[in-house]
Amino acid sequence: MELKTFPATIDSLDAIRQYVKEKSQEAGVDKKATYNLLVAVDEIATNIILYGYQNTGLEGNIDVFSEATPTQFKVIFEDDATPFDPTTRELPDEEDFNLPLEERPIGGLGIYLTITGVSDFSYEYKNNRNRNIFVVDIKSP
Amino acid sequence: MDFTITSEVVDKVAKLKLTGELDSLSARVFQKEIEKVALESPTELVLDLENLSFMSSAGLRVLIFSKQKMGVGLTIYIVKPQEIIVDTLEKTGLQHSVNIVDQYPV
Repeated sequence: MELKTFPATIDSLDAIRQYVKEKSQEAGVDKKATYNLLVAVDEIATNIILYGYQNTGLEGNIDVFSEATPTQFKVIFEDDATPFDPTTRELPDEEDFNLPLEERPIGGLGIYLTITGVSDFSYEYKNNRNRNIFVVDIKSP
Repeated sequence: MDFTITSEVVDKVAKLKLTGELDSLSARVFQKEIEKVALESPTELVLDLENLSFMSSAGLRVLIFSKQKMGVGLTIYIVKPQEIIVDTLEKTGLQHSVNIVDQYPV
């Protein structure tokens, strides 16, 4: 696994996306799947930075691990903020999506895009760290 | 990539041009611009997204916010969005509430 560490500040979002994009392309993930992965990592990084660190007054880092095999590209975010499992968030459903914009609930879109944007998204709390795991299956050309 | 936004309101039509990547950080700038043009009570909001290469849910939330802020009478046009951004709008059902067009005036 390769590791790169970013300060858990909102200014890091762009750099995290650029880094994951580079690794994803190196791994052979196609353009569309890479884009959807970037939306997913951006959502989770935003949550960690805003709710894990900034709003609680904590300072820290996000460790971004990545690993590629011929069939799979995996990204893992690890951080030391308060345990938070994004998968427990209530997801918007078809009914919400059909509501007129002015009546739509404003939350939950990010986690929806995260879960639907990768082949598998999971969360675990291990060794006192949050671990958000993104897996993208690589389609053979 | 840097995010830039320009806006003008002429005859109740607010035109905004977004360039770069729209994430949680740049969505704050987008929201401020929406709040600014909302003061002139536009009836049409025209978003030129031709040069926008990334949009996170924070960007989608500003779209929803626009409608909630400016009222049900507001018509939203999204001009020339990149295909990948149209995918996000479709996936989240937002394409029903906006008009995706190749040019404005339509």
